[in-house]
Amino acid sequence: MGVIGKRVAYYPGCSLEGAARSYDVSTRIVAKELGLELDYLEDYNCCGAMESKNVTFMGTMLLNARNMSLARRQGHNVIVAPCNGCSFSLQRAEYFLETDRAVYDRVNALLREGGVDPLDQIPQTYHILEWFYHEAGPQKVKERTRKPLRGLKVANYYGCLYTRPHFYARTYAHAGGQDEEARPRKRETADDDEHPYYMNALLEAAGATSVEFEPMHTQCCGGPHSLSDELVSEKFVMMILQTAKRNGADIIATECPLCHASLEMYRHRLMMKGVPDVDVPAAYFTQLLGLAFGYSVGDVKLKDNLSDPIPVLKKLGLA
Amino acid sequence: MAIHERSLVEPERILRKERLVIDGVDVSGDWNLIILPRVINDYDLDFAKDVMNSPDGKTITQCYQCSYCTASCPVHNYWDERYNPRHFIYLARLGMIDELQKRADVMWRCVSCHKCTHRCPKGVLVEEVLKAILRAMAKKGLVEEYPSKKFDKFFTESVLEYGRIEDGELLFGWIEKQGYRVFKDPILKKPIPFIGETPEWLKQLTVKPLKSMNIGFLVLNAKHMLFHPRTKNWSKFKQVLRKVMQEEGALH
Repeated sequence: MGVIGKRVAYYPGCSLEGAARSYDVSTRIVAKELGLELDYLEDYNCCGAMESKNVTFMGTMLLNARNMSLARRQGHNVIVAPCNGCSFSLQRAEYFLETDRAVYDRVNALLREGGVDPLDQIPQTYHILEWFYHEAGPQKVKERTRKPLRGLKVANYYGCLYTRPHFYARTYAHAGGQDEEARPRKRETADDDEHPYYMNALLEAAGATSVEFEPMHTQCCGGPHSLSDELVSEKFVMMILQTAKRNGADIIATECPLCHASLEMYRHRLMMKGVPDVDVPAAYFTQLLGLAFGYSVGDVKLKDNLSDPIPVLKKLGLA
Repeated sequence: MAIHERSLVEPERILRKERLVIDGVDVSGDWNLIILPRVINDYDLDFAKDVMNSPDGKTITQCYQCSYCTASCPVHNYWDERYNPRHFIYLARLGMIDELQKRADVMWRCVSCHKCTHRCPKGVLVEEVLKAILRAMAKKGLVEEYPSKKFDKFFTESVLEYGRIEDGELLFGWIEKQGYRVFKDPILKKPIPFIGETPEWLKQLTVKPLKSMNIGFLVLNAKHMLFHPRTKNWSKFKQVLRKVMQEEGALH
C-alpha cells in the first residue's frame, strides 16, 4: 500500500460528465469515504478512446500527451481514470513514449508548437479500481460499511481493457520477444491478469456475494463497435448477461462507462426481441459501495441507470 | 483427416471422394481428402514495410505464427471463423494483398479487446499491427468504406472539433449517418430526440428517464447536446493535430 499515493490527478473522461454522471458522483463519494483525494484535471480533452487510434497514431499520442502535460502542471505524477478506455489510452501513450525515443521527442516538439508545456516526466496511469484497492483496500471498506449489501449476488464485470493488454496495463511479468527496454515490468499494484479480483474483494468487504462469472468477467462487450457493428455487440452482451443470470446474479457490477452503456443498451434491445435470461440490471461498483456506506439511492444517482436496478435492490431491502 | 483452419481454404480447392484417382494413382482410403495446390506470383513485398513504418506496426516481424491470438479471439470464436489475426499477419508479411482484400469484409470486425496482444508469447502488439495493416490497405485504396471506419472517422472529427465528445450527439449523428431522418432545430442545427425517425428500441430507451421523472439526468444531457462541452484554448492545439493527421494521410 501507499504505492500510488492518496492524492492523485483525476481524469474523468467525457462520458462521466454526461451520460455516466452517476459514476462520477458515486466515485467522488467513495473516494471521500475512503479518505482519498481526487484532484480534477482542469480543461482536459478526450483521450481518443478506441476510435481515434485507428485513424491516426500521432494524433492520439498528442491527445493523451496533452492530458499528461496538464497533470504535470497540476503537480502530479499519477493520473487515475475511472474508464477502461481512458486508462487504456493513457497507458498506451505512456508505453510508446517510454519505449520509443523518436515518438517522445516528436510529441514534445508538437506539444510546444501547440502551446502546451512539453512533458518533463511521463506520469503513470492507474485504473480507479486499482487505486481504491491499494490505497484503501477491503479492510477500510469493511470499516466504513454501515448498511452491508447482505444477500446481494453480484456478477463482477471487469471488461476487456482493465487488465489487458499487459504491455500497457502491466499486469503480467511477461518478457515477450521484444528487446530489453521495450519489456514492461509488472506493476506492484496490478490485478491478476486473467482472473482479476479487486472488485470482488471490495464488494465482498461491503457484504455482497460474488457469483461465478468466468470467463465472461473479462469478455469484451463489443463496446468499440456498439454503434457501428450492432450485431457483434448484441451477441457479446447476450453471452455476458445470460452467463450472469444463469449463475444466479441479481446485478452486474461494472467499472467502465462504455461497458455499462453497452450492457444497458443491448440488454434493452435483447429484451425487446424476447431473448431469455437477459434481465440482469447493471450498476457501477461505486454506486453499490456508496449504498453500503449508507448513502441513499438519490445520492449515488441509481435512477440514472437505464437498466433500472432499483427494484432488485428494493426486494433485498438495500434501497 | 481433419483440416485445421478449414476456413482459410476455398471450398473448391478441397477434394473429397470415395474413390480418388490422381494422375493415374489410386489414393482412396485414408487419403481421400486433398487440398489442391495453387501458384501465387502476385505478391508485394513492400507491403510489410508500409506496416512496419508506423510505430505501432513494428512488432509484425516478431510473429512466429503460433496462433495463440486466434485461439483467444472472441470474434473468431463467437462470430466469424474467417476472422483470423494470425493469418492476416501472415498474409501481410508475404505481401499477398489479393488474399487480404478477400478478407477485408471481416477484418474490420476487430472489437479491440486486446486479448490477442495480451496473450502473445512473442510480444507482438497484435491488435495494433492489425489496425496498421488495415491503415496500410486503406492508404493504397484496397479497402472500401466499412462501418467501423466510418464511425472512427466520425468520432475523431468530433474530438478534433471540440476537444471532447458528447454521447447524445455522437449517437444521433451516427443514426443520421445510417440513413435515418433526424430532426434538427433550425437555429443551432442540433438533433432533437423524439421527433423524426429513430430506431424503436432507442426511442423506448430514451423515454425511460422521462417515465421515472429523472429530470436532472435529462436536463444535463440536453444541455450538453445544445452546448457541446468543449476544451478551452483548443484552436492552437487543433491546428497541430490537423497538421499531424494530414501528414499521416488521415485527413483529406
